[in-house]
Amino acid sequence: MDVMYGLVGEASWFCCGNAWGPCASTGTGACATCHSGNMQHAWTNTSDACYAITRPDQCGVTGVSRRTCGFRHATTNLCNGARIVTSIADCGPRTRSFCGERACCGGTCASNRVMDLTPAAFTRIASLSAGLIPAGIDVG
Amino acid sequence: MTSMDRRALLTRAALGATGLIAASAMGSLAPEAAFAASAQVPDPGAPDPNFAEGLITGRNQDLLQVQGSDGRLHKIQLTGVTSVWKLRPTTIDQARIGDGLYARGVKLPDGVLAAESVWINIVNLDVMINSIGRTGLNLDHHGQKVVGHVQEGITAAVYNGTPAISDLSMLKVGRHVQVIGAWRPGTNEIDLATIYAAN
Repeated sequence: MDVMYGLVGEASWFCCGNAWGPCASTGTGACATCHSGNMQHAWTNTSDACYAITRPDQCGVTGVSRRTCGFRHATTNLCNGARIVTSIADCGPRTRSFCGERACCGGTCASNRVMDLTPAAFTRIASLSAGLIPAGIDVG
Repeated sequence: MTSMDRRALLTRAALGATGLIAASAMGSLAPEAAFAASAQVPDPGAPDPNFAEGLITGRNQDLLQVQGSDGRLHKIQLTGVTSVWKLRPTTIDQARIGDGLYARGVKLPDGVLAAESVWINIVNLDVMINSIGRTGLNLDHHGQKVVGHVQEGITAAVYNGTPAISDLSMLKVGRHVQVIGAWRPGTNEIDLATIYAAN
């Protein structure tokens, strides 16, 4: 059975909060709550200032709803069907920097970055070394 | 092997490694009990008890002591079924004091995390290419300079979703790329695994 998602695109991961290595300078994000070990994500449209940075519309991704800190989204890895629910803790990803980029597994592909998960969340549905996965996004 | 099979096997391996099976007399530390606990998904926004991150501060055989970046201390048990990544898939002996890590596994009743997967020194950076040299890339990560070293036979580029190739000639100065790499502890340098470049 085909599953319909509110948004289909690429999902990746990012570090936030207290961290080691190059991540040490990242901070707790736009919501001041972001931590790599929490079940959280970044969203491209948390505010006007955020949207001015991410600009998914420049890649043809329209209709990304304004959602603020704490709002819940469900992310499904289209490679294996694994699904997690996380809450918004930061602004991102910067979709406009990677317009047209595709992530594929087998015959399943998705274009444009729409979701950044914390390492704790991403590792529930994929390996960190995968980097990018095609994903379906819904309200969680 | 299903995910449940793998986790049950992992837990048995960890319990065997720490000698806990004998101590527990197969009571509350039975693998099935540990797996049932791990299957509980944490609330959105909450910490995941089956996940840990931080710097390795000690190692006693295959038990890692990890200082979390938030100050918490973790004990992480590596087993024969733990998958390990350190620039590439590798073996548990590659986890060394000073390394950073992310780990996912099963939290045992005594607080030890039996590791299903460990990613050592892994970074995933959205960076701009400042310059391209013969042996690497000079990168800008939110205003911080990062040196990316090309590793022959490992470093590969993905151009707009195409299969990864070793040819880096299509990378361009001034463009944003995402890099998966392995941090060199104590430095601003990484070894490059995969470079994702859009058109």
